[in-house]
Amino acid sequence: MKRRIRPLPLLALALLVTAFTFSAVRLFRAKTAAIVDPSIEVVRLAHWQLEPGVREAIDAIIADYEALHPKVRVEQMDIPGRAWKQWLRTQLVGGNPPDLIELASYENPDDMLARYFTPLSSYLAEKNPYNADEPDLRDKSWRESYAAELVPAPEGLGHYYNANLLEYYGAPSTLVTVRMFYNRNLIKAALGEDRVPRTFDEFVALCEALQRYAQESGRPIKPLGGSVFNITKLTDTLFSTVTQRLAIELDFGRNLEFSSHELQIKYMRGDWSLRSPAVRASLQTVEAFGRYLSPGWVQLGREDGMLQFLQGRAAMLATGTWDAGGILMQADFPVGAFKMPSFRRDDPKFGAATLGQVSEAATFAALPFGLTRASKHPERAIDFLRFLTSRRSNTKFSSISKWLPVIKGVPVPPDAEPFRPIVEGYVGGVNVRILGGTSNDAFVQNLHLLSGVNASADAFIDRLEPVADRSMPQEMARIARVNLTTLRQRDSVLAGLYFTRPPTGLARSKFDRLAASQLDSEAQRLQSLRTIEDYPAPVRRER
Amino acid sequence: MRFCLLGAALLLPPRAAATATETEGWQLLAGYLYRDAFEAFERAPAGSRARELGLAASLLNHPPVTGGKIATAEDRLRGLIAADGTDDTAMYARLLLARIAHLHREAPMPEIEAAYRDVLRADPRHPAAQIAASRLALVLLYQRPDLTVPQRLDQAAALADMAGAAALPEAACAYYRNLASAALFYEIRDDRVLAWLQQADAIGSEDPIVAANLRIQLAEVARQLGRRAEAVAYYRRFLASILPTDNRYLTARERMQELERTAP
Repeated sequence: MKRRIRPLPLLALALLVTAFTFSAVRLFRAKTAAIVDPSIEVVRLAHWQLEPGVREAIDAIIADYEALHPKVRVEQMDIPGRAWKQWLRTQLVGGNPPDLIELASYENPDDMLARYFTPLSSYLAEKNPYNADEPDLRDKSWRESYAAELVPAPEGLGHYYNANLLEYYGAPSTLVTVRMFYNRNLIKAALGEDRVPRTFDEFVALCEALQRYAQESGRPIKPLGGSVFNITKLTDTLFSTVTQRLAIELDFGRNLEFSSHELQIKYMRGDWSLRSPAVRASLQTVEAFGRYLSPGWVQLGREDGMLQFLQGRAAMLATGTWDAGGILMQADFPVGAFKMPSFRRDDPKFGAATLGQVSEAATFAALPFGLTRASKHPERAIDFLRFLTSRRSNTKFSSISKWLPVIKGVPVPPDAEPFRPIVEGYVGGVNVRILGGTSNDAFVQNLHLLSGVNASADAFIDRLEPVADRSMPQEMARIARVNLTTLRQRDSVLAGLYFTRPPTGLARSKFDRLAASQLDSEAQRLQSLRTIEDYPAPVRRER
Repeated sequence: MRFCLLGAALLLPPRAAATATETEGWQLLAGYLYRDAFEAFERAPAGSRARELGLAASLLNHPPVTGGKIATAEDRLRGLIAADGTDDTAMYARLLLARIAHLHREAPMPEIEAAYRDVLRADPRHPAAQIAASRLALVLLYQRPDLTVPQRLDQAAALADMAGAAALPEAACAYYRNLASAALFYEIRDDRVLAWLQQADAIGSEDPIVAANLRIQLAEVARQLGRRAEAVAYYRRFLASILPTDNRYLTARERMQELERTAP
C-alpha cells in the first residue's frame, strides 16, 4: 500500500531543519575563533542600539582593540528593542549571557542587577590604563575621566548607578538630548535663509512660512512631522518652560526640584489643577502649532514620522539625538538641528510663569555596559570596557555615530554640535503629560483636541480632568504599594549589611547609607498615604 | 581576586567552611538574593544565633512572600530574644520584629509603636535603636492622625538623642532632614525647620545629591523665614559647590540676586 505524503508535516520538518542549520551556522561562526584556537578569548557585548552609526562605531573600536590584543575577539550583538526584554531574561537565566550588556534601570531591576551583574564601583575607582597617554587623565580614576565624573543620578535617571544597591553597574559611552531636526533646503526655501527660530513666536512664524511655501509651490510638505512620540518630545519642553514659577511655588520640599511626588500631593490638596493659568497656558502652546502637524499624526508610528522627514514630506522632526546618526546618514538633503526655543518672560500669552529655557545640565551619561557575573573572561571584558570608554575610543565612537561624547576632552563632532546639552537655563516646571497612571493614556488619547482647526485647551482639560481626578489617588496608592515591597526588601538587605559591616565600623558604611535612604523612601511613602487619607479626592481650590 | 573569594571560601576546611557559609548567607542577603541567602543559612551548622537571625531575615523576602513565612520569621526572632535578650543578635532581632509589625504585617499602630519602643528600651545606644527611633519618628509624623501636627513634630523631635546619634551619621542626617521635610509637608514655617536642616548639614552626607539638596533647602527655607543674609550665604555655598549635573544653578543664582537687590 502506498503511503500518501502529507505536505504539512514535511514543510514543518523542512522549516525546522532550515532553522537548525541557520542557528548552527551562526553559532559555529560565533564560536569558531575560540574553537580553532582555545587560547583566543571571546568577549561578547550586547545592546539594542540599532540606529545607523552605533554598530559601525563599536565595530571600528573593536577592530582597534583586536589589533592591540590579537588573542581576543570581541563580538557585537545588536538585539532589536522589541525583543530585548525576553532575550535578556533568557540569556541571564540560561546562564550563558554575553559578557557585557547594555543597562537601563527600567530593564534591570535591583534583584536582576544583584544576581546577574558585577558591581563596577571598585573598577571605576581605578585608573583607566588606556588613558595613560593623556597627561590630564592618566592620574585620574576611570570614573573621573568622565566629563561629569559619573555623579550618581537621582533614581531612574542615570542607568549606570543603582541607588538601592549603592553601586555603579555600568560604564557609559554617550549623552543624549532632544532636538528639532530640520530640512535646511526647505527652511531656506520658505524663509529665504537658513535661520533657526530663537523664540516660540519665531518657531510658529516658521511653521506658517513653511505652510505658505507648501501651498504656493504645490509641494506636499507639512511644517512638522512625526507621531505622538515626536510631538510629546516637543510638548515636554514647552510645558516645562511655561510653568516654571508654578513649580517653584508648589515645591514644598524647598529644594527647587519639583518631583512627581510633590506634583501629586499638591494636586490632591487643590494647590494646582489643569485649570491653573500656567498649566492651561502650557496646553495652549500646542494649540499654537498644532495646526501645522500632518493630518492623522496621532495615528502615526515613530518610524512613520522618521520616514516623512527623510522623504522630505515634513520640514521638521523633534526627536532624540539617538536618531541623529540615522538622519544624517540617510537624508539626501542637508540637515540642521536646534533646541526648541523658550518663551520670553514678557510674552503676553505664555510668559507669566516662565523663567526661561530649561537647563540640560541634568543630562546623564547613557549607553552603559554592565559586566555579567557569568562572564568567562571578566577581567578581559572590563579591559575592553576601559578601552571602549578611553578618550581615544570615545572620540572615534562620537565621530562615527554622531552621538555626543562623554569623556573629558573629547571634541564634539561638528555634526553633533547642536546636540550638546545647553547647561545655561532654569529648572523645569509642571509636565501634565506625565501625571501617572491612566492620566498618561488619557493625555495621549485626547491630544488631538489640542491640534487642528478647532484646537481647544479647554476641551482637552474637560476630558483629562475627570480622569486625572480619579487616577491621581489610585496612582499614589499604587506607588505606595510598590514602595512597600522595596522597603520590605531593604529590611532583609540591611540585616545582611549589618552583619557584613567593614572593619572600619558602621558609620558611613553601606548599612548607614542604605538605612538613611530607606528612611527617605519610607517618609515619602507615608506622605502619600497621609495625603490620600486627608484628601480622598482632589480639592477644588486654587491659590 | 574578587572572583575568587567565593570559590576560596568554599574550599576552606570543614569548620571554617561552616563559618564561611554563614558569612556567605549575609553577603547574599546584602545583595538582595533572599532565596540564595536562606539556602546558605540552611546549609550552615545549626545552633548558631546568627544563623537563626539570618534565616529569619532572609525568610522575610523569600519568594513567594507569604504570611506563613513572616510568622515563622517572627517565631524565630522571638525565640532568639527569649534565649538571650542581651547580645547584638537579640538587638537586631528586636528591630526586625518592629519592622515586621510595621511593614510586613502592618499591625495596629499601638503594637508597632510598642515594638519600636521595645528596641529603644533594650539598649538606647545600639545602632538598631538608632534605626528604630528614626522609624518610630515617621510613625509619629505620619501615622498618628489623632495627634495635632505640632504634637507629631514635637514627639518625633523628642527622639533626637537616639535617632540623631553619631553611630550612624548618614541615618542621623536623614532623621533631621526628615523632621524638616515633615514640617514642610505640613506647611509649617518656623525656625525649627531651619534648625533641623542645620543639624543635618552639620552631620553631613557623603551622598552628593543629598548634600546638594540640603544646601539649597537651607537657602530656600532661610529665604522663606525672611532670614535674608543667611539665605544669601547658603545660596552662595550651594552655587560654589554645585554638581556638574545639577540644573538649579541659574535659578538659585537669580533667587539669591533677588534677595540681594531687596536687602534693606
